[in-house]
Amino acid sequence: MIFDEFVQSLLVFTGINIIAAFSFYVPFKTGQVSLGQAGFMGVGAYAAGIMTVKFGLPYPVGLLFGGVFAGFIGVCVGFPALRIRGIYLLLLTLGFAQIVQVIALTWEYTGAHDGFQGIPYQEHTIFYVYGVIILLLIFFSRLERSSLGRAMVSIHEDEEAAEVMGIDVVRTKLFAFGVGALIAGLAGAMFAHYLTYVDSRTFNILLGVEILMFAVVGGVTTYWGPILGACFLTLLPEGLRELRDLLELIPLAVTDALPYGNNVYDWLYEFLNFENEKRLIAYGLILIGMMIVRPQGLLTRRTVQRLAFWRRGAASV
Amino acid sequence: MFAQQLINGLMLGASYALVAIGYTLIFGVLRLLHFAHGEVFMFGAFIGLNIVLAWSGVNIYVAIIGAMIGTGLIGLLVALIAVRPVSSKYPLAPLISTIGATLVMQNVAIRIFGGENQAFPETMDPVIYHIAGLTISSVQIFTLVMSVVLMVVLWMFVNRSKMGRAMRAVAESHETAALLGVNVGRTVLFTFMVASFLAGAAGVLDGIRTSAVSPFMGLEVAVAALVCMLLGGLGNIVGAMVGGFILGMVEILSAAYLGTSLRDLFTFVILILILIYKPSGLFGTRVVGD
Repeated sequence: MIFDEFVQSLLVFTGINIIAAFSFYVPFKTGQVSLGQAGFMGVGAYAAGIMTVKFGLPYPVGLLFGGVFAGFIGVCVGFPALRIRGIYLLLLTLGFAQIVQVIALTWEYTGAHDGFQGIPYQEHTIFYVYGVIILLLIFFSRLERSSLGRAMVSIHEDEEAAEVMGIDVVRTKLFAFGVGALIAGLAGAMFAHYLTYVDSRTFNILLGVEILMFAVVGGVTTYWGPILGACFLTLLPEGLRELRDLLELIPLAVTDALPYGNNVYDWLYEFLNFENEKRLIAYGLILIGMMIVRPQGLLTRRTVQRLAFWRRGAASV
Repeated sequence: MFAQQLINGLMLGASYALVAIGYTLIFGVLRLLHFAHGEVFMFGAFIGLNIVLAWSGVNIYVAIIGAMIGTGLIGLLVALIAVRPVSSKYPLAPLISTIGATLVMQNVAIRIFGGENQAFPETMDPVIYHIAGLTISSVQIFTLVMSVVLMVVLWMFVNRSKMGRAMRAVAESHETAALLGVNVGRTVLFTFMVASFLAGAAGVLDGIRTSAVSPFMGLEVAVAALVCMLLGGLGNIVGAMVGGFILGMVEILSAAYLGTSLRDLFTFVILILILIYKPSGLFGTRVVGD
């Protein structure tokens, strides 16, 4: 490999988080907010795992099956979801994710309590992950310019008006929900074949919340938003840990000379250690802060257009 | 056996009902799903536990009242930090910021109290009564009676007091209430406090009943109480009470006869069935909106 193991795993998890954030973004394009994307990830992970472990099929087949099966389940869940919106839909997806968890916990075929073990390790996961991201980016940029993409946005803006305009609201919303589930399924399948082990707790409410965060913090009006959000939030704890390493470069003589130098150093050193709880506290604070200061997310369609314009403007000079 | 399970279901239902009432009160005045409400409940349990641990032999009522005051303040803080400054122009922004508050509160609790289950010490002599073949302990009777008393007090408060009337007016329409001289902002904050009082008391009662407290109890109860609120109809206080008892019964009965792992499945199957077939709940929604 070109990268050392740590950097590689970091890149893989960032990539999987980006894909998961995309899976939130697609249904959101039609105004459907889902807290259950973790559930679809679970469906994809288990479906792909069954293919590769129980039937001995190659990884790409399992991956594809995981995605398609999750997409199928997504359409099944999406049908009843068509009738409801807003917080009702949020609760429905939450309930779905919980049901997936209970099934994973009780299904003996995939190990029930002991979790799904012995999933073959895929060493080229990183290429699959970024391959999928590139495919999705191409898909989104095409979608943006297509009538389907415009139909999705108009449903988000005003469902009744869209229907009056002759847009097939039912089909478009189902499509969006199904595609979101398919993308989540792919993310789950790749996740499972990288960790080689998943259990019922892997795809819990918290993961659903994190996926929502990636998309919402980055911004959900453009497909660059989920990428930014997922990268920022995944790399934040790592970045702070790097800062900690830089801190270690300060010689002891300097901190000794400064008043309270050592205390400040210790405090900073401890502060920059963003493990589990602290990371989640920081996520929570970021989420609250974002909703107060910039509820539309870091990147919006307008900022992206302005950036693109600026770049083009600079090139022509 | 069946009657015994019904009693257990009643106990669990009482916890759910108290939390669900909080949800429904806040939903009524703000149309907001206050995701962090379960964490308020969890903090209530921990405050109660620490009062009991700090002064041995302390009266249990002191612990309950202390927890209620503590959670009232926490609820107020959440409303001031995570709800009030958030613009309502984006319909989901307040909900998402309370999800953020959930993350913060749960993990702050883990840092302060540790991530392990903690035992809730015995605060009263458990007397076991045998009535017509049923076993009921005095602890169970105490928690049930306390819950019912709290619900009755809340019911009186909402329907008989001036503040309660203001809350109902705000739930009807913010503009009209403001025109009629109700201080909407203050009423909303007050609603958060009342809801948090109930959650705090429920937390301590739950700690006494199950004799265990953990930082993760909040999310479980939050999700269950959400189902109760939906069952009863959004914004409907009596609905939330009845919904709580129904869900408590269903969970206990399904756990007793079908095994514990299927218990959660039942909860969510109920949730999904209600969402699909009767989103207004069993007793009708008291608020407009989607």
